[in-house]
Amino acid sequence: MSASSHGSSAEPNLTPILDMVFQLITFFMLVINFKSAAMDLSLKLPVIGSAQPVDMQGQEELLVLNIDSAGKLKVFGVDKDIERYIATEAQVSRLAARRNHANDNDESLRTIVVVRADRTTPFHLLNRVIKVCQEHGFRRFSLKAMNRKEET
Amino acid sequence: MARRRRKQTEVELNLAAMLDMAFQLLAFFILTFKPSPVEGQISLHLPPPKPVANAQAEKQAGENTADLSPVAGLDTLIISLFSTASGDVASMAVGEVNVGSQQELDRRLRTILKDPGSPFEQVIIQVDSALRYEGLMQVVDICTRQTLANGQRLSKLSFVELPHEANAKK
Repeated sequence: MSASSHGSSAEPNLTPILDMVFQLITFFMLVINFKSAAMDLSLKLPVIGSAQPVDMQGQEELLVLNIDSAGKLKVFGVDKDIERYIATEAQVSRLAARRNHANDNDESLRTIVVVRADRTTPFHLLNRVIKVCQEHGFRRFSLKAMNRKEET
Repeated sequence: MARRRRKQTEVELNLAAMLDMAFQLLAFFILTFKPSPVEGQISLHLPPPKPVANAQAEKQAGENTADLSPVAGLDTLIISLFSTASGDVASMAVGEVNVGSQQELDRRLRTILKDPGSPFEQVIIQVDSALRYEGLMQVVDICTRQTLANGQRLSKLSFVELPHEANAKK
């Protein structure tokens, strides 16, 4: 009050801090990855030396299947019935394929099934999921793995 | 400048409100930021397992008497993986031949598939039902590193499940 009575007020210049905050926001907006929401990060993937990240550049349609050690399918953290979920996804994929490639009579679907299975999952549980996918026309698979052990 | 001084009115934006909002956005992004690990992948073409004999092949085994290769018409190589009770790899076999280690499996596959006379185009992996995914992936990794006689990478794989009890009896 006394300062204002003298006719001089101390006001901090907020412009630089606002600039900096906006730059930080821009950074976080650019690095945010909504695709990771589809991944169940609690799964421990197998470690394979030659597994390399491949950039699909958004050209391919992906169906991400998270399979835990008990063979349960999780989509966005929710347990799903394997048969019903894959049948629905196959139907969606087939409709999309008809729309985009009307002259293509190939029965197999173009969608890539991305299998993210826990490293301890027994084969018979994994094979059940793969078989269901194959029965519904999926042929292209991508098996996810880490190429080095995670530091714990 | 002169005009501004005369009027003595300055338009000042109140940046505090904008800064509050910006900080809230920043807090949101910081709290929800979770860098996902870089994952690798092995891309495969997985058709359903077919019979070993390629019935659609133009040349059937034994059709051409001048051809001394007895396996003409067969295009599938079979790898068998057997598991311990805990799910680790107990033993492996290529066809009927046992292989002791992954290095040996790699060498054997390279020898078979790179041979210019090799008829194999795809691999069927017979997997013990109890084998863990990690053990299977190590073998899949070895298979996908192989090059066929025509220069293409091996990417056609199929999986067949072997009952675990049957292996235990062996």
